[in-house]
Amino acid sequence: MTEYLLRRILQSIVVLFLVTVFMFALVHAAPGGPTHVLLGPGMSPEAMKIQEHNMGLDQPLPLQYLHWLKDMLTGNFGYTFKNHIPINTIIWPTVGNTLILMGAAWVLSLIIAIPWGIYNSTKTYGISDNVATVIAYLGFAIPSFWFGILLQEYFSLKLNWFPLSDMWTVGKQGDIGNLLWHMVLPVTVLALGFLAGYLKYSRASMLEVLHEDFVRTARAKGVPERWVIYRHALRNALIPVITVLGLDLPVLVGGALLTENVFNWPGMGREFVEMALAREYSVLMAITVITAVMVVLGNLLADILYAVVDPRVQLGKKGGASV
Amino acid sequence: MSTHIARGRIPVTAVETHYPTGADVPYLVEARHVKKYFPIQKGLLNRVVGHVRAVDDVSFGIRPGETFGLVGESGCGKSTLARVILRLQGASGGEVFYEGRDVLKMSGSEVRRLRREMQIIFQDPFGSLNPRFLVRDIIAEPLRVHERMSAKERDERVVELMRLVGLDASRRNRYPHEFSGGQRQRVGIARAIALSPKFVVADEAVSALDVSVQSQVLNLLMKLQRDLGLTYLFIAHGLNVVRHISNRVGVMYLGKMVEVAETDELFRQPLHPYTAALLSAIPRPELNRKRERIVLAGDVPSPANPPSGCRFHTRCPFAQARCREEEPGLREMGSGRVVACHTPLQ
Repeated sequence: MTEYLLRRILQSIVVLFLVTVFMFALVHAAPGGPTHVLLGPGMSPEAMKIQEHNMGLDQPLPLQYLHWLKDMLTGNFGYTFKNHIPINTIIWPTVGNTLILMGAAWVLSLIIAIPWGIYNSTKTYGISDNVATVIAYLGFAIPSFWFGILLQEYFSLKLNWFPLSDMWTVGKQGDIGNLLWHMVLPVTVLALGFLAGYLKYSRASMLEVLHEDFVRTARAKGVPERWVIYRHALRNALIPVITVLGLDLPVLVGGALLTENVFNWPGMGREFVEMALAREYSVLMAITVITAVMVVLGNLLADILYAVVDPRVQLGKKGGASV
Repeated sequence: MSTHIARGRIPVTAVETHYPTGADVPYLVEARHVKKYFPIQKGLLNRVVGHVRAVDDVSFGIRPGETFGLVGESGCGKSTLARVILRLQGASGGEVFYEGRDVLKMSGSEVRRLRREMQIIFQDPFGSLNPRFLVRDIIAEPLRVHERMSAKERDERVVELMRLVGLDASRRNRYPHEFSGGQRQRVGIARAIALSPKFVVADEAVSALDVSVQSQVLNLLMKLQRDLGLTYLFIAHGLNVVRHISNRVGVMYLGKMVEVAETDELFRQPLHPYTAALLSAIPRPELNRKRERIVLAGDVPSPANPPSGCRFHTRCPFAQARCREEEPGLREMGSGRVVACHTPLQ
C-alpha cells in the first residue's frame, strides 16, 4: 500500500508538471496580453516595451515559467497585473465559496441518489423507478443556466421566496441562515445535474450485480434479502460508482461556470471567466493548478477506495489482481 | 400391468400415472405437475404476448439417499426445474413436496428455514462465489445466518468443512480468485453442506471443470453422500457423467420429463427415442466398433411455441400421425420405469 501510494504520488507530480508547462504555453499563446488591457489602445510602442519589461514579460518564456514555478512551489501564486493584489487573497476565498456551493449540491445529490438508486434496482420499472428515470432525464436534458433562470423567475421574482442571486444579503455577511437561504436555488440546479448521473449509475450498477450468480448463491444460503442487497450486492456495485465520484471531485473546486454566473456566486467558475477576459495570466495559472491538483487527487482517492472495497485490487503487490 | 417383451415398435397399452411411482420408499422430494412459464413481453407497454414454457407439467420423485440424475439438452428446463424445487424461483403451477410439506406454499421465513435442509451447488465456480468475501466467510455465512455459533465455533466448523472437501484449511483467509476452478467448486460444495442438509441439488456442478478435475469432484460428491447420507438431484447435460453417479435418471426434453428409469436399465434399454439418441451420442473409446449413431435432425423447437402433440415429434425418427396430435402422458412400463411416448422402443 505505501509503495503503491508513493508511486502514484510521484506519477501525479509528473502529471502536474506537464499540465503547468502546457497551460503556461497555452495562456501565453493566446492573442492580446495584460499590457493591452492596462494601457489601452492609444499607447506608444515604447510605453509597451517598458511596461513589459517591468512585468518581466520580455524575458524568454522558459525563464518566465521557471520564475513562476519557483514562486508557486513556495505557495505564492503571484500578483494580479492590474491592481497588484496577491493572488492568494483572491483565489482561496473563491475556492471556499465554490466548495460550499458545490459540496452542498454534491452531498445532497449523493444522499438522495444512492439509496434511491439501490431501492429502484430492487423494484425495477415501478412507480419510484419511473419517477427517478424522468428526473434523471430532465437532469441530463435541461441546460443548467436555463433551469436556474426558471427558478429565479418563479421562486424569486414571482413568489419572492428566495433571493435572486449573490451569496449574502448586503450587511449580513457571515450569517449562516442568510447563506443557506441564498444557496437553495443554485444548489437545486447543481444537485439536479449530479442527481441525474448518480441515480442512473447506482441503479445500473446494482442491477448488474443483482443478476450475478453469487447473489443467487446468497439467496440459496437463506441469507435474508436485506443482507443479500447490502452485504453481497452493494459492495460489488459500489466500484463503478466510486469511479464516477472520483472523477467528479475536481468539479467541486473547479466550480460551475454557468450556474455561478447566473446566480452571481463569487466562486471559481465566475472568477475564471472574469480573469480570462482581463488576461490575468497568473490567476488563470493558479486556477489551473488548483483544478489539476484536484483531478489528480480525485483519481488517487478513487484508486485507494477501490482497494478498500475490492480485495482483488492489491495495491503494490505484484500479480495481485487477476481475473 | 403390461409387460411387453416383444421386439419392434408395437404400441403398448400401459397404465397412465400422474407421476412416477413404483417403490415402497416414500419420496424425500416430489414434484407434481410443476410448471414454470416465463412471460414474453413486447412493445412500449410490456404487453405479455406469450410464455416460454420452461418447465411444463413435470412430475417425479427422489427417494431418500439416492442420486437422481436429470439430463437433457441446454435450455430444456433442467435448471429451472431445480430452482423451482428449491423455491429459488416461484412456480407457475404444481406442487413440490419436501417431507410431505408443499415447498411452494411456504412463507418467506419457512423457506429460509428450509435452506438448512435443501442446498444447491451451482455450475459456475467463478461467478457463484462473491469476489469480495473471504473463502472463510463464504463457507461460514450459512452458519452465521442459521446457527447460533460463536466466532470460534464457526471457524472450527469452516476448518472441518474445508478438510472434508479436500481443501487446505490454512487458506481460508483468502479470496476466491486465489483458488483454481476445481478448488472453488469445492468451496461451493463446502458451503452447500455447511448446514448438514439432507437434500443437495448439483446443478451442472462439474460441467465447467476439466475432465480430470470433474472426476475428482464427482468422487468427492459420492464420498460425501456416503459419509453424510445426502440425497442428490444431479443435473447434467451429458449422460456419461450421470451414469457414473446416479441411481435413477430422468430425461427432459423441451420442458417435459420424457423418461425416468433406474440408471442401469436406462442405459441397457432406453424406451424413449430421445433417450436412445442421447445414449448414442456418448463417445466410446472402443476401436473397430461400428455403432449406429442416431443423429437428430433439426434444432430444438422454441419452448415459447412448442410443437403440438408429442413435443419430440418434429425430430423423432419414429413419429407417427398420432404423435402430432395427441400428447403422450407418462406411463408406467414396469419396475418403476416411466416413459412419455405413444410407441416406446422395446
